[in-house]
Amino acid sequence: MLAADEVKSSWADEVEEEGTAGALPPPTEEIQNGMKIITEYKYNDDKKIKVVRTFKIERMIVSKTVALRKTWNKFGQSKNDKPGPNPATTIVAEDVYMQFISNKEEDNKPEEDVLDKLKAMGERGAVRCRKCFGDHWTTKCPYKDTVLAGGKITDEKKPESAVGPGGVGPGMAPGDDKNKSQNSKYVPPNLRDGSNKRGDSMSNTRSRDDTIAIRVSNLSESTTEADLEDLVKPFGPIHKLFLAKDKLTGHCKGFAYVHFKFKSDAAKAVSSLNGHGYDHLILSVDWSKPLGQNN
Amino acid sequence: MKPLILHGHERSITQIKYNREGDLLFSSSKDQYPNVWYSLNGERLGTFDGHQGAVWAIDVNWDTTRFMSGAADQSLRIWDCATGFQIGKIENSSSVRSCNFSYSANMAAYSTDTHLGKHCEILIIDVRNADDSIEKVQPILRIPITGPKVTSMLWGTLDKTIITGHENGELTQWDLRIGKTERSNIDHVGSINDMQMSKDGTMFITASKDKTAKLFDMDSLECLKTYQTERPVNSAAISPLFDHVVLGGGQDAMDVTTTSTRIGKFDSRFFHLVFEEEFGRVKGHFGPINSVAFHPDGKSYSSGGEDGYVRIHNFDPAYFEFNFDCQ
Repeated sequence: MLAADEVKSSWADEVEEEGTAGALPPPTEEIQNGMKIITEYKYNDDKKIKVVRTFKIERMIVSKTVALRKTWNKFGQSKNDKPGPNPATTIVAEDVYMQFISNKEEDNKPEEDVLDKLKAMGERGAVRCRKCFGDHWTTKCPYKDTVLAGGKITDEKKPESAVGPGGVGPGMAPGDDKNKSQNSKYVPPNLRDGSNKRGDSMSNTRSRDDTIAIRVSNLSESTTEADLEDLVKPFGPIHKLFLAKDKLTGHCKGFAYVHFKFKSDAAKAVSSLNGHGYDHLILSVDWSKPLGQNN
Repeated sequence: MKPLILHGHERSITQIKYNREGDLLFSSSKDQYPNVWYSLNGERLGTFDGHQGAVWAIDVNWDTTRFMSGAADQSLRIWDCATGFQIGKIENSSSVRSCNFSYSANMAAYSTDTHLGKHCEILIIDVRNADDSIEKVQPILRIPITGPKVTSMLWGTLDKTIITGHENGELTQWDLRIGKTERSNIDHVGSINDMQMSKDGTMFITASKDKTAKLFDMDSLECLKTYQTERPVNSAAISPLFDHVVLGGGQDAMDVTTTSTRIGKFDSRFFHLVFEEEFGRVKGHFGPINSVAFHPDGKSYSSGGEDGYVRIHNFDPAYFEFNFDCQ
């Protein structure tokens, strides 16, 4: 690795290289207080991007046989790999958690929970009838069978539905210029407002929990998970607790997410903890926003 | 926990196995190249290139010098772990479905499929001096199976017996000294996909297509516990650290596209060994899980799925603090 760097000693060569179109700075590798930092440059759709990966170097004491195996040369299709994991074959996945199942009753609950949660998002139009715009599914509309002069109603309601956040109602008439300009961007079915968010378990699993998650911010640096738990425990049972911590120092980054089991408890926590003085700082507590809503 | 995804296979994983110390993880898939990985950081040590068909079964010996793989190209191959060189190869008349080193690794057992009029067979071979000539050496023992074929296999106590799981859910214990059935039972009603031993070798767990996993006594083949799920179980493992078992499964790969996607389908499911109750789930795979294995220290586990990925999970503190609450 080092040898490769030294070859390009002349600054003139480097300048020349920068001048040519396809040239990229050579990858670098440095070791800083127990961390190995690898910087690479590559092209992504004609844009030069810099990839910085940080690895922690750990020393372990293992038995002789295991240590010996660590020195084996790579073979087969990995023969030409450099020491350390090859990013082509080894990927660090996103965080997953073991979901503990505490008792049997909860097993039967999720089905109706989903509907409740959607209804709770009612103002944002998660559950809305396309016929009468009531707080229920279209199929369950009381006016389902009566001819509500479909076109007329939708015409009146159009401005309102167009205001909704990026929502392309399936019942909306195409061709209206105003709607078109606002909603010309394609919105996949599972991201539309009216969807039940069930089909997209791969990409959007977080959003299901987010309805009962609260965000606690302005925490002091010395806050630990135990402190946070003591703080929110009185409001009710907690499903999950996430305290953002700095990777290197382990100190709190100043915010945390708490997932409550019940919405009412979460609401209680939001109302009473917001503005609460804690560890010489004033907490700011709010509902956790789903991923897509930040922008 | 942040799992490590090992993406070394082009097709679905068939089996994963740790070596005795757990520093290496072996994986095989329906492509032709078994892989070996460092379990700690997910670095690939190498691939064993040579097979011409899907690799169904793998095993590694006690001191991690030899690696064995059985494949659909009708060959059983023995490899050198350190270099990936092929030491020996045995051609058979049908594909090799399961293979296991005995505890001492003096012997190895493997089974072949029932195919085109060929009967399923169990073969015991001597692997002490494995080299090129191994194909010409007569096996120590050859047991023809006339009934349903063998789908999984384990060595019994002191290398005196082997236990085979069959396509119809039958379990059979063979006495190798006389080559006859010692005892047998049918507790499962579906094919036994996988069998794994507990750390001390007194019990083993079976994973069956009949949607259950069962715990059996090694010697008496008595069914001790049953773990019930709603999906076929492809693999099951016993924790060496706690009274936990992990089950991996999901419906048949061919049914995946025709049934609805529901949560909890492709999860690894954790059951309490004694109380037979599920207490946790870990999700992540995009398809059924074909093989699960606990690290020998019990602090991490891995799963290999139909999606072709192997995932190494290091347990969170929450797992170690978890206390099973029995009311």
